[in-house]
This record gives sequence, C-alpha cells and structure tokens, in this order.
Amino acid sequence: MASSSEGLGLGFGSEDVDPSIAMTTDVELLKRAWRNEKAAPEILQFQHELVQRSREQVQLMTITVQMQLNIFTAFDLAVKTFCGGMMFKEETVEDFEQNGADPLTVSVYQMDLDRMQFLLRSYLRIRLQKIVKYAIHISKSEAWSRLSEQEQKFAKRCMDDMEKHLNQSVLSRLPYGYQSILKQSISSEEDDMVPQPHLDTYVFCKSRTPLGALQIADGEDPMDVLADFLYLFHYKSIRSFVESGQVDLF
Amino acid sequence: MYGRRASQLLKELSTCEPGQLTSFNTDVFDQVLKECNAHHLELQSLMRKIQEEELDVQTTKNAEHFGAVIHHLSLMRNKRCLMAYMYNRAQIIQSLRWKLGPVLPQEIQEKLNFSEEEYFKNYSAALESYASELELDLTVDMVPPKDPYIKVRVLDDIGDVLLSDQSPNLARHSIHFLKRTDAEQFISQGLMEELLG
Amino acid sequence: MAGQSDPSLSMFSAAEVEFLAEDEMVEIVPNLNMDTLNLICGDFGPFRPQMATSVPLWLAVALKKRGKCTIRSPQWMSVENLTQVLEAERDSPAQFQPLPFHYVEISRLLFDNARDDIPDMYMARSLIEDIRDVRFHKFETGLEKISSSTHVVKLKNLSAMEVNIVRPFFVRALQAFAKHDSPQMIHHQQDAMSSRQTHVQDDGPRRDLRRR
Repeated sequence: MASSSEGLGLGFGSEDVDPSIAMTTDVELLKRAWRNEKAAPEILQFQHELVQRSREQVQLMTITVQMQLNIFTAFDLAVKTFCGGMMFKEETVEDFEQNGADPLTVSVYQMDLDRMQFLLRSYLRIRLQKIVKYAIHISKSEAWSRLSEQEQKFAKRCMDDMEKHLNQSVLSRLPYGYQSILKQSISSEEDDMVPQPHLDTYVFCKSRTPLGALQIADGEDPMDVLADFLYLFHYKSIRSFVESGQVDLF
Repeated sequence: MYGRRASQLLKELSTCEPGQLTSFNTDVFDQVLKECNAHHLELQSLMRKIQEEELDVQTTKNAEHFGAVIHHLSLMRNKRCLMAYMYNRAQIIQSLRWKLGPVLPQEIQEKLNFSEEEYFKNYSAALESYASELELDLTVDMVPPKDPYIKVRVLDDIGDVLLSDQSPNLARHSIHFLKRTDAEQFISQGLMEELLG
Repeated sequence: MAGQSDPSLSMFSAAEVEFLAEDEMVEIVPNLNMDTLNLICGDFGPFRPQMATSVPLWLAVALKKRGKCTIRSPQWMSVENLTQVLEAERDSPAQFQPLPFHYVEISRLLFDNARDDIPDMYMARSLIEDIRDVRFHKFETGLEKISSSTHVVKLKNLSAMEVNIVRPFFVRALQAFAKHDSPQMIHHQQDAMSSRQTHVQDDGPRRDLRRR
C-alpha cells in the first residue's frame, strides 16, 4: 500500500481549506494543539500564548452571553409581568433581535463558547493525564521545560504522592537493595523502573507544506514528503516537525 | 514455581472490566512480599557460600552463582508485578476522581487499601489546587458539547411545567424546543421523544 | 502487544470526531434577519432571507433545528456524484476517491437534522454506506501488504473516521514488524546461524547459562 495508493490529487477533501477564513483563528490553532497533544505519545510544548488568548476570549464571551441573558431575562420578566405570563409574540422577538439579545443569538453565542471551553479544558486535561502518568520521566528529561508553571507544580505533587504511596505499600517492605522507585535493584545501571512514553510508535500525520526529502529509516532512500497527504510515520522521524508546527497529527 | 503468585495479581487486573476496581488483594499481595524476603534470604546465604569458599563473586560461575541469579531475578520480577499492580490500580483511582468527584462512594472505598485511600485524597487535592490556580474547573465539559436545546414531541399530557428557562404547556402531541437537560427526565419516562430531521 | 501506549490517550472518540466535523463549512439559506455573529470561531453573517451564506456545520444545524434556514446539500453529496465515487472506488482497488475528510460525519449530521434539504436522501444515504464498505475492504487488503520493509504508509484521501478506525491495526502491524526487524532480533538470528561456524561471536552474559 506504501506508495501505490495515491489518488489523483484534486485538492479536495481537506478540512483546512476554507476560503472564508483567511486568517487562522485561535479556535483553529487550539484545535490543532488539542489534536496533536491527543495523538502524540509524549507531552508537547505547552502553548502559553494560545491558552492565554483562548482564556481571554472565553472570559469576554462569557460576559457577553451573561449580559445578553440578563437583558433577555429582564425583558422576559417585564413582558411576563405586563402580559400576564403570555408566550412571546413574533413582534417581541423582533424587538430582541434589534437589541441583539434574542434567545436565538444567545444560544448561538453560548454554543460557540461551549465549543471553545471544551477544547481548552480537554487540552489541559490530556496534558494532566500524561503528566501524572510520566511524572518521574518528565521531571528527569528535557520534557520538563515543556510544562507550564502550574503543570510543573502539579507534576511535583503527583511525583511526591505516587512515591509516598508506592513506598508505603511496596518499596519499604522489600529487602535492602530493591527499594528504589527508579531501579529494579541496586545492580541496575539505569533507571529501569520509570514509566515512559512509548516513542517507538507510529502516528498519522499531514504536513502543511512539502517537507522535501526525509530520511525515514536507516539505510533507506530519503522520501519526498508532500503536503496534504496523510502519512503513517514513525513518531521519532517526524517529531521535530511536530514541534516546529509544520506537521499535524491526526 | 517462583513468581506465580505475583502473576496472579496481574491476571486479576487484566480480567477486570476496564476502569473497574477489584478489592485490594491483601492476601496475595502480602504473600508475594513474603516471597520477596524469602528470595532475599536465599540469595544472601548463597552469596555467603561463595564468599566462604573465597571465590570471586564477580567471576565465579558455579551452582551457587546461578542459584543466586535465579533468586535475584525472581525477586525483581515479583517487585515489578507488585509495582505494576499498584501502579495500574492508581491509574484507575485517578480516573475515578474524574468520574465521581472528590468523595468516593462507600462501596468503592472499601476496595482500596489504606495507602490507596490516601493516594486518592492527595491526587484529588493536587488536581484541585491546579484547577484553582487556573481558576478553571476541569471536571466539566468532559465530552464535546452539543446544542443545549432539542426539539421534542410530547407523547402524553404533561400540562404546565416550570423549566429552567421557560414554563410551557406540555400538551399531548405538541412540539417544543426545550433545554436538553430539562427534556431528559421526560424522555426517560417515555413522556416525550426527541424529534430529528 | 506489550508496551503499547495507552490507546485511550491517543484515540479520538466518535463524539470527538463529530465535534471536529461540525466546524466544516456548509452553505445555508436563512429565512430570518440577523446581524453578523462575532463568534470566537469567526464572524458569520449577516443573515438575510434568501441570501445564501457559509457557516460552520454546527451553526447550520442549530439554525435548521430552529426553523431559521435551509441547508444546501453539498455538491459531493449529490446522488450523481456519489454514484460516480462508488463506481470509482470499486474500479480502483488501490486508491481512495477524494471525499471530504469528514464525509461520514457531515453526511450523518445532515441526514439526521436536515433530511428535507437533501435531495434523494435515502439513495444518498445508502450510497454513502456502500462507499464506506468498499473503502473498508481496501484497508483490509492494504493491511495485508504491510511488510517488514514498510517504514511509512502513505494514504491519500483517507477520512477522519477511517483514520480513527484503522489506526490501531496499522500501528500495531508496523510496531510488530519493527520489533521483529530490530537489530537486536536480527543479531539473534545471525547468532543462531553462525553458532555452527567456528567463529562464535561473544554476545555477553547470556552465554553464561549455556557454558557450564
């Protein structure tokens, strides 16, 4: 299936070709970060600025929705008081539309907000899951710098808690020489007990620009990596491109 | 056979429904710990023998040496099984925090050993402190959002009701646009159906 | 397989794939007046009756549900186009026809929420089901072609849902081949063969147990 499965390129069928949005929105960027984080076996660089901007937008939108909701309920209350609890007539709805506070608009803004909040929370959650799982490994590798300040604090606590837990239930009850959380025994030269991400795996990915010739495997000819094709790559061979943002994982 | 008991612990993990906990197997767990200490005693006495015969521990490859290797490897294998047992259970315990919140129901709490109970509390506290630093509750929005409103058809006369955002008259066969959360109770009682299309 | 990364970490749920699909753009014809919506995900509208405009699918479905628009069925969802695609899928066993990345989710969302806007809805739906089936069959044959010399798989026109479903099979197949192909394994094989020859390689402490 390797290279024989190329269809005729019609430039069709790509989700990111969207002429109506010339500039990439933060939602789009956050979605990309979320997808990459979900699909990557290891923890990726925390997207400080993007998260910051997304949070500001969520706050702004929350206020907008709240305000419109208040106008709406205030109006609702007034109408109900005056009309004796009658259902809205079309005219009243028209009024709301002019005020930009009709229930439809509010629902739509709320749905937009919900979508952004889900992405943001889910992004942060996936990272926490990876941090808990690989806390010790992360703390001992360059991955530590990819964490946000709050994530680093969280990671430290996770490590301490896990260490305490494993110490009191297993390690302290084992014979001398076998009590390390990092090593199987004192005769181990390396840390051979630390759970670490499985980098030796394959990921689906797409490049946004042609990457040129890439050395995929030792002793193999370099392969031309084209844009918009879906590839299943060894994670290690495209890791740096994921980091630089040229390649997206799926 | 060495290591058999320890593998029992792992079998227990793999036969359990994903995400579910069995009661902490104190019996087998403690027996495996005992085995570990027994291996260590054997190992030490074999090492002593080698030393008594004034042989070089590093280079001697006699029966005592291989015996010692077997005890050493068995001990490490047992350790790995014990750690895997704790570690995998800890992962389920973490997921319970996400699913059930900071207080575990009695029937689940009974399945944990004392250290696991403590671990649950600590993990919960770590999460809470992360969330409060961010001023963001991470335990909501666990699944992608859907339109909060759905179109429903009333199947039986329900009459006037007070819902979170409106107070409709839910007459039989009438069609309404309700909050999904409000409609769910009626749908589950068979009093309404969601309209698609 | 041992040492697998946790699948729950790297997989997308069906609801998540649908969530992504809901951002795809579709054309609607509103029947209301509404000013431009300045949403976090972009600005849409203004909405004027009978004036077609493009919005994300989730917004289109929300408006449709409230009776505020009709959705224009995308061109690729026409029975004519789907019939052609199905034929082409059947005729070219090694290729996938171009369809939107989220064709499965988009069509399902439209069938569920805008059936009166889709011409020949039932025909279109059964064509899409057939297309899915033909394509799935191709993955199965594609999987069989993965061998020890496969280091990368290049796929054109694979859809989101298809990626998600075939992921574990492809990843495991490649991991398995990589594992059995690793220098360590090859070394062992050579070792087994060379042990008959006079020149025995020294491969460390493992030998100790054999030499008494």
